[in-house]
Amino acid sequence: MTSTEKDERNTSLSRTLRGIGVSPGIVAARVVVLKRQTMRAGWYHLPAEHIEKEVERFSGAINAAVEELVQVREKLAGDLADALSIIDSHLLMLKDRMILERTKVIIRRNNVNAEWALSQALNEIKERFDRINDVYLKERYADIKHVADRVFGLLAGREHDPLIEADEPVILVANDFSPEDTLRMQAGNVQGFLSEKGGTTSHTAIVARSLGLPAVVGIEHATSIFATGDLIVIDGSTGRVILHPAPVEIQRGQENDRRNRALAGELDRYIHLASETVDGYAVRLSANIEMREELPAVLRYGSEGIGLFRSEFDYFHGRRPPTEEQLLATYRQLLETMAPHPVTVRTLDVGGDKFLNRFPGNKAWLDRERNPALGLRSIRFSLYERDLFRIQLRALLRASVYGRLRILLPLISAPVELRQVRAILQALMAELEKEGQPFAADVEVGMMVEVPSAVVMADIFAAEVDFFAIGTNDLIQYSLAIDRGNQYVAHLYEPFHPAVLRMIKQTVDAGHACNIPVSLCGEMAGDPLCAPVLMGLGLDELSMRPAVIPRIKRLLRHARSSELQQLSKQILQCPDSDQVREFLAAALPNIYPKDFYQS
Amino acid sequence: MIQQKRDLIVGNRRGIHGRVATRLAEIALEYDVIFRIQRGKKCVECSSILDVLALALVEGTAINLQAEGARAEAALAVAAHLITAQDDP
Repeated sequence: MTSTEKDERNTSLSRTLRGIGVSPGIVAARVVVLKRQTMRAGWYHLPAEHIEKEVERFSGAINAAVEELVQVREKLAGDLADALSIIDSHLLMLKDRMILERTKVIIRRNNVNAEWALSQALNEIKERFDRINDVYLKERYADIKHVADRVFGLLAGREHDPLIEADEPVILVANDFSPEDTLRMQAGNVQGFLSEKGGTTSHTAIVARSLGLPAVVGIEHATSIFATGDLIVIDGSTGRVILHPAPVEIQRGQENDRRNRALAGELDRYIHLASETVDGYAVRLSANIEMREELPAVLRYGSEGIGLFRSEFDYFHGRRPPTEEQLLATYRQLLETMAPHPVTVRTLDVGGDKFLNRFPGNKAWLDRERNPALGLRSIRFSLYERDLFRIQLRALLRASVYGRLRILLPLISAPVELRQVRAILQALMAELEKEGQPFAADVEVGMMVEVPSAVVMADIFAAEVDFFAIGTNDLIQYSLAIDRGNQYVAHLYEPFHPAVLRMIKQTVDAGHACNIPVSLCGEMAGDPLCAPVLMGLGLDELSMRPAVIPRIKRLLRHARSSELQQLSKQILQCPDSDQVREFLAAALPNIYPKDFYQS
Repeated sequence: MIQQKRDLIVGNRRGIHGRVATRLAEIALEYDVIFRIQRGKKCVECSSILDVLALALVEGTAINLQAEGARAEAALAVAAHLITAQDDP
């Protein structure tokens, strides 16, 4: 029976599941289930005449694992140099005598099965690594385990890595995607993701969004419900997943997919073009990211820098806050990869409640907050927990020599906060100088404009910083007094509220009066309906998810600066958001074809 | 068989991690030599990157690198540069 016939027969078994849509888009494709082998290696004794067979079985698994890695290596694009070198070390580990020879010795000496012998060999390695004091080197054991898991899988009779065989489009299904899986996630034939675990801020969600591929998380038992080869449709906006979909649903999914591909192909043309209007008025289009793993997407979509690096990920990763060296490694990679383009790193921006949760030893944990949005968060938290803040700033200063760094301070509401940070920075610079550590003494320091007081006082602030970055998500919440997470008032959250637009305008003007650049890094920047207005308001930089950059660039390149400025000027006169929308609906068709700005 | 030795201080900020150890093994192959690293009383062959990693050679560690083979001197020069460099290969 061909797979098409099988699909037809299965239609009657069509079944809909609901998860959480975390990255929009609809796609129909076959599933590849990634099952992680847990290392539950049973022990069994082998009769003497079976020992050499067992050694052979083990060698066979090692060779198959090597073969798989070599194939993964060949499939990876050349711009993933880091990934390639990871695979090279994994290859050496597979053939390392501490794994290969040692396991064989244990099989022969104890007359035991390969799985058990391998887990013994691993234990011996683990003991040695446990004695290492250096955190970074100690954590390399995770790589070894990862390599061994591949061998365990093969010993357990897993087929060859299914992804390698597949040239047709696939949707990956896993319990959860680990950072190592990011490599697989970026393979060309992967069209979507589905995982059992995770939320909107999970690794899967973040990587999927920056690649612009649909993803659904939170489907319980997905790796058991779906089997490799099953045809499914996933909708990354609604979280709906259809197993064995009816032909009409497949068609809808595939049409959507085709449309997206055609659009992506058309937009690809813009990646290497300058981001400027017809008359040469330039707006920097940069990326919002939160993990190093997103860098390939940043490069792929032609971003001219990182307009917002959310630095929280390193802090939520382990059980303890990251060390200066860990942070330095992250920042350095960002800067080196993006040079000469700027990399804007926002210092730790968390609500005290969320963060302290992770570090219950913390003083303020005792005094839980009743109103976290107005509480000890963001820069206030950093200035309260100064030791943590110093570590981050030291790492940033040390990274500053590897490219063009811009340090961004969140939630500034009064000039005194800026002065406190400046004082800390100066002390740290003196410290680094004494230690002989290089840093860029002229590193740019800017602030987020996301509290109404910062807008009102923007002319004063502009004299004290090197740049402004407007954070519209928070600015809208604080100025309209709306919590987006509250379902009863969320509908009042309105980017086109004229108050918001006027605040943006006021900030831009105050910045330009002091000759400092003004960027905007809220969701508005990547919204095709908002972007033309923002460009017209005179913003120097718009920072957004990497995947939407080409689309926004197309809007920029098809307009004249005078048209955009005129548009914004008139919109600022609108009395409410409805009229802003009506005005846009009437004015935009004069500048663009409809599909340029409609979603 | 030519044998060459050199005392070195690990320069990489993250120590001799996977990528450095991998490169070391590759150099040994390219020059057809055997590298050994001695740290204190312990001595390991660089063909096993796990052995090398387990030595926990953090930045600033003093080691003795030995090369054995016809092109030991040239191999040692390349490897010494790798080990003492601050940056990743």
